[in-house]
Amino acid sequence: MLDLRAPTGWFFGLLGLILAALGVFSPGLRASLTDLNVNLYCGIVMLAFGGVMLLLSRKRS
Amino acid sequence: MKLETVDYLILAIYFGFVLGIGWRLRKSVESSRDFLTAGRSVPVWITSLAFLAANLGAQEVIGMSASGAKYGIMTAHFYWIGAVPAMLFVGVFMMPFYYGSRARSVPEYLKLRFDEKTRGLNALTFAVMTVFSSGISMYALGLLLQLVLGWSFTASVLLSAAIVLTYTFLGGLTSAIYNEVLQFFLIVLGFAPLAIMSVVKAGGWSGIESRLPSVMTHSWKYMGDASQNPMGVEVFSMVAGLGFVLSFGYWCTDFLVVQRAMAADSMSAARRTPLIAAFPKMMMPFIVIVPGIAALAIAKMSIGYALPLKGDGYDYDQAFTTLMAHFYPSGMLGVGLTALMASFMSGMAGNVTAFNTVFTYDIYQGYIRRGAPDAHYLKVGRITTVAGTALSIMTAYLAQHYNNIMDLLQLVFGFVNAPLFATFLLGMFWRRATGHGAFTGLLTGTGAAALTHGLTVAEHKGGWIAPLHQFPSTMAQNFWIAIFAWTSCFVVTIVVSLLTKPRPAEELQGLVYGLTKVPRDTGVSWYRKPAPVAVLVIAVLLFLNIWFR
Repeated sequence: MLDLRAPTGWFFGLLGLILAALGVFSPGLRASLTDLNVNLYCGIVMLAFGGVMLLLSRKRS
Repeated sequence: MKLETVDYLILAIYFGFVLGIGWRLRKSVESSRDFLTAGRSVPVWITSLAFLAANLGAQEVIGMSASGAKYGIMTAHFYWIGAVPAMLFVGVFMMPFYYGSRARSVPEYLKLRFDEKTRGLNALTFAVMTVFSSGISMYALGLLLQLVLGWSFTASVLLSAAIVLTYTFLGGLTSAIYNEVLQFFLIVLGFAPLAIMSVVKAGGWSGIESRLPSVMTHSWKYMGDASQNPMGVEVFSMVAGLGFVLSFGYWCTDFLVVQRAMAADSMSAARRTPLIAAFPKMMMPFIVIVPGIAALAIAKMSIGYALPLKGDGYDYDQAFTTLMAHFYPSGMLGVGLTALMASFMSGMAGNVTAFNTVFTYDIYQGYIRRGAPDAHYLKVGRITTVAGTALSIMTAYLAQHYNNIMDLLQLVFGFVNAPLFATFLLGMFWRRATGHGAFTGLLTGTGAAALTHGLTVAEHKGGWIAPLHQFPSTMAQNFWIAIFAWTSCFVVTIVVSLLTKPRPAEELQGLVYGLTKVPRDTGVSWYRKPAPVAVLVIAVLLFLNIWFR
């Protein structure tokens, strides 16, 4: 049976990568109510989550 | 709200992964049991998150944040009182009978415990209900995307239905459950930043408290009298109506959620599924309700955010999406929107997979064609998946044109559901309860619900027989309808059971308390046992209720 942690890890890793890259290369992207670089921070969190999932799936197999 | 290329890219990647998981799991389907019950082989952390996500439709996210803006933190009762105790009960007390019996579905349990007619009634109403509710949520999604993004109603309905159909058709229940977990993570990671940023913007919880009337930030303080709070309910109907009848009726008997726990790989895992799910369930108010409350507070700060208007009041349903547009730039906006689509798809897949199982095993195998080889039922299961999706799409269009019919149907379903828990409670814990008793009890309970609705009025609803009593809100009316329906079903089931012939004890082995060996998990760590986990859940639940009293 498929280990769900692997695709979950890849999915959020990829999403995090896109968001973090967006945060680094177009830091000017802002919504009207916040000055935070939302894409960068959310991207880093997703990257970390994806990484942990991949690590866990590696450890088992 | 305007989307850029990167937002569409994120949406496309998500669709790719969802379909990919379905494709990878297609080989695991060899029998009808694999397809419809996931072959009882899913790890507990996956069934737990799916148990939660199947119930977490887009309507719930939008509706709960709207209620947050309208009623405040009292809305959290729909989680803390209206879900968690029932989840503990089904896990600790009821799962041994569901998982331990040979039943493949909740209606089938009714057949084993009571008789054919009780099962038939439950299977039929459940099948119709799931198709309609999946259609209605599809309609809600189409409407939302039309309003927020200007997408065509037909395109969004057909696209999302096609994706859900593809992955459930390929991998069956396993695929639906696996995707629900991915959807759950996406919902949390996609919405939590919005909750955090909106609360920080409003000045933290204390900032919200200072900007809003005190009734918005207290869950119990104004519950003594219905006139004191905007929901118009008082503490008894809240606890007995929502917390007991409606909540236990849904979480303990609705096959849509119970099916997820029954897919677990062992009895212990099945029992722990709702218990583990209770932890994230208790935290969901912070992700879906609190942003609604924060939206109202931010709107009062005059910093360029206002709740959209509808008629002469606020359009609370738009609180969540407008907040997202004000906090998320392109990129994260795509993630937020994808999470919204994901919550819709998890709700719909839940309905479709519950529908195909009940139709195939309880209606087709029960009444249309018995004793065929398993391959035949697998085929029927797959065809039912397609048919169920098609029926949902038709319902979505029906809802678009005949809003009143949909309201009426939901009302009738409410009548049918309200007494259900009395039947299960007596069935599982009182061996003297008989099939005739259960059947008459269910019908009486449904009748009592309709009668209560016909004799009372709230917000111009009901009172079609005679307006004898006025409720302060439809919510209070619904809670009292549930209380009357449950009580009459409970009493009538007992009376009729005592008058009819009981079933011999040997036929009830594994189905009733006292005739079933309740599994004892010895030699495992405490967190693998149901009871200690349940105690921990209760501790957190008490803490939350006291903190936000």
